[in-house]
Amino acid sequence: MLTEFATVLVFIVLGAVTVALMLGVSRLLQPRDQTAVKLSTYECGEVPFGSSWVQFNIRFYVIALIFIVFDVEVALLYPWAVIFQRLGLLAFVEALVFIVILMAGLAYVWKEGDLDWVRAMQENPAGKGGK
Amino acid sequence: MPLGNLASVSRFLPELAVTATILLLVAVHVVGKNRQSSASALLSLAGVGAALLLTALQPSMPAVSLFEGMVALDGFAVFFKALTALATIVVIFMSMDSAELSGKSQAEYYVFLLSVLLGMFLLSSATDLVMLYLSLELVSIPSYLLAGYLKGRKSSNEASMKYVVYGATASGVMIYGFSLLYGLTGTTQIAEIGRALATGKAALPLFLAAVMVAVGFGYKIAAVPFHMWSPDVYEGAPTPVTAFLSVGPKAAGFAVLVRFFYTVFASPDGAGGPWTLSSPVDWTLLFAVLSAATMTVGNLVAVNQKNVKRLLAYSSIAHAGYMLMGFVLLTPAGIQAILFYLVVYLFMNLGAFYVVILVANGTRSEDISDYAGLGSRAPFAAVSLAIFLFALTGIPPFSGFIGKVYLFAEVINRGVYWLAVVAALNSVVSLYYYARIVKVMFLEEPAEKAELAVPAFPRALLCLLAVPTLLLGVYWEPVIRVAANSVRLLAF
Amino acid sequence: MEPILFILFGAIAVAGSIMVVTRKHPMASALYLILTLFAVAALFVLRQAHFLAAIQVIVYAGAVVVLFIFVIMLINVPENKLPVERLTALRFLGVAAAGLLILEGAVLARKTTMPGGTAADSGSVQAVGRALFTDYLLAFEITSVLLLAAVIGAIALAKKKI
Repeated sequence: MLTEFATVLVFIVLGAVTVALMLGVSRLLQPRDQTAVKLSTYECGEVPFGSSWVQFNIRFYVIALIFIVFDVEVALLYPWAVIFQRLGLLAFVEALVFIVILMAGLAYVWKEGDLDWVRAMQENPAGKGGK
Repeated sequence: MPLGNLASVSRFLPELAVTATILLLVAVHVVGKNRQSSASALLSLAGVGAALLLTALQPSMPAVSLFEGMVALDGFAVFFKALTALATIVVIFMSMDSAELSGKSQAEYYVFLLSVLLGMFLLSSATDLVMLYLSLELVSIPSYLLAGYLKGRKSSNEASMKYVVYGATASGVMIYGFSLLYGLTGTTQIAEIGRALATGKAALPLFLAAVMVAVGFGYKIAAVPFHMWSPDVYEGAPTPVTAFLSVGPKAAGFAVLVRFFYTVFASPDGAGGPWTLSSPVDWTLLFAVLSAATMTVGNLVAVNQKNVKRLLAYSSIAHAGYMLMGFVLLTPAGIQAILFYLVVYLFMNLGAFYVVILVANGTRSEDISDYAGLGSRAPFAAVSLAIFLFALTGIPPFSGFIGKVYLFAEVINRGVYWLAVVAALNSVVSLYYYARIVKVMFLEEPAEKAELAVPAFPRALLCLLAVPTLLLGVYWEPVIRVAANSVRLLAF
Repeated sequence: MEPILFILFGAIAVAGSIMVVTRKHPMASALYLILTLFAVAALFVLRQAHFLAAIQVIVYAGAVVVLFIFVIMLINVPENKLPVERLTALRFLGVAAAGLLILEGAVLARKTTMPGGTAADSGSVQAVGRALFTDYLLAFEITSVLLLAAVIGAIALAKKKI
């Protein structure tokens, strides 16, 4: 089993080497005469203005929170899928109970309107704060 | 032999009732229109009432292990389930009367409250480290949310934040201790851990692991030095939540503390006995110092408090210290004293907080100075508060006295005299600050003379809390018998 | 081979977590946290806990750190207003205490045998699945109640007013 992860290790090592190689070679070959224009951020040819650090809408945070919870749910169902055939109906019922309880959470999120991205943006175009 | 998963379901009805109520609360909230309706409170009352009834009807003889050894159904678990369900019911009534919570969305509040209750049920019956950790989190996480429920109030936000940070640290340390225990024994069942460790090997790592685990439990019961979160949380949280946290999770914390240490450390034949497992330290001395420190810090800091909620927070730390006295020797008699004290504590502490809520509803204040003249403004509430405060002090003929007698008796019987002396001195200190409130209420002139109306329903509930507080001071035999039975059945 | 990999990934994890707590900008800390979490996932793989390793990457490196980054972006403290962490005596004491604890743990671990987790495949997805849906079923189901409370709490907390 461990040898299968060797592939992953090789992948990581190769990836790291490739990136290091590309940046390193470019660093060796590039001519270096830096001007203010060259150092500025590339914004599709326009002159950049303001900071690229903008405040995120809190809705991203809410969505991310909900995502984590359901991510954990899916992660827990992954081993269930693997052993499902061996345990049969009982495992089905077990997972059903689990999902039904979490569906209540989904219903709550839905009712509270935290899934309606577009509507919320229209109500609150400034993008400040949640509901 | 533990029962299998399917066979266990029929013995798991109280927990199922609570879970079903949580789901119903969410369903009603999703379907319903009015966020502030009292439907959620009534539904929760019905659900917790059903759970309490099912707990009472449940045959706990003989004790069985359920769900492949995850939880135990024994007298000890039943005792704590009944206790925490009762506390929850009282808190639901308190929440319905609280001005702080009216106008807030109700369903979420009760979902959190009932999640904590489910966690407490499981915490008092968990016999497996995985289950134990999970139920502790199920108690903690909704508690954080409850503490921060008043989002408009800065102190409530601060309470929630501090609670999270302290709670996460404590549970992190605790789970590290669990991992050491698992490493030492190769099992997550606490009974088997006890058996594996009874050989006496690995005493030092075991000590390290046990101390780490005790950090997690000590945080839940707010024992010194893990008490720092509690005054801020108790002051900032909505008062019904404060009342709930000071009784429910604290009781569940004692349940898990006793069950864990009793199972792992007392001799495996179930006879109990003072710390049979060999160890490089004197456990009795360690916990005696912890107990003395907890009550002393709690009482000394309480003396200078100006806010009633904060004062009661420190007093509840002190009470955790008194109750630890019963734990110091890990004997059945000591644990019986803890169980009895928890019952008494439930009535007197919830009662005191209930009066605080009723007064705050009228005056919007929790400062002791605003209690001036309460004796004439709201005589009924003032007299009840005086009863609860004297019971908390532990002077006869109130029930707190009997509770303390049992706690003192065990310590004195086993010859830890210094702890008894410390506790007695502490009771004297506590008399000072409890009596100060009574003095302010009855002897000081109020700034405002208008009568504070206490409606009929809260009066009835206050009576229901005050009567046991008084009655258990003169007739405590049945409760102590139940407590004794509950200790004897602690088998897994 | 295994001891070398263990030391390698262990070193990455420790170095990464030191970077997490010493970086000035929280965003840098969050990115180093990803590195640490990956290294810990690799340690899990070395201990045959494949399922745990996958969860570590999917849930922690994938979702939790993304949430951290969202929060950092949401609070969006300008670089010149970041709080300056001072080295106080208490912090040195904390580091010293942590070091002492680690030392103690190491000494004790060398002195005692730890029989836990002996089965070779105990961390595979099949083994976890079997344990989760038979012996630990109750824990699994209770997790759903905890997640339900968490999702409702998350929404309730993020709202301005309940």
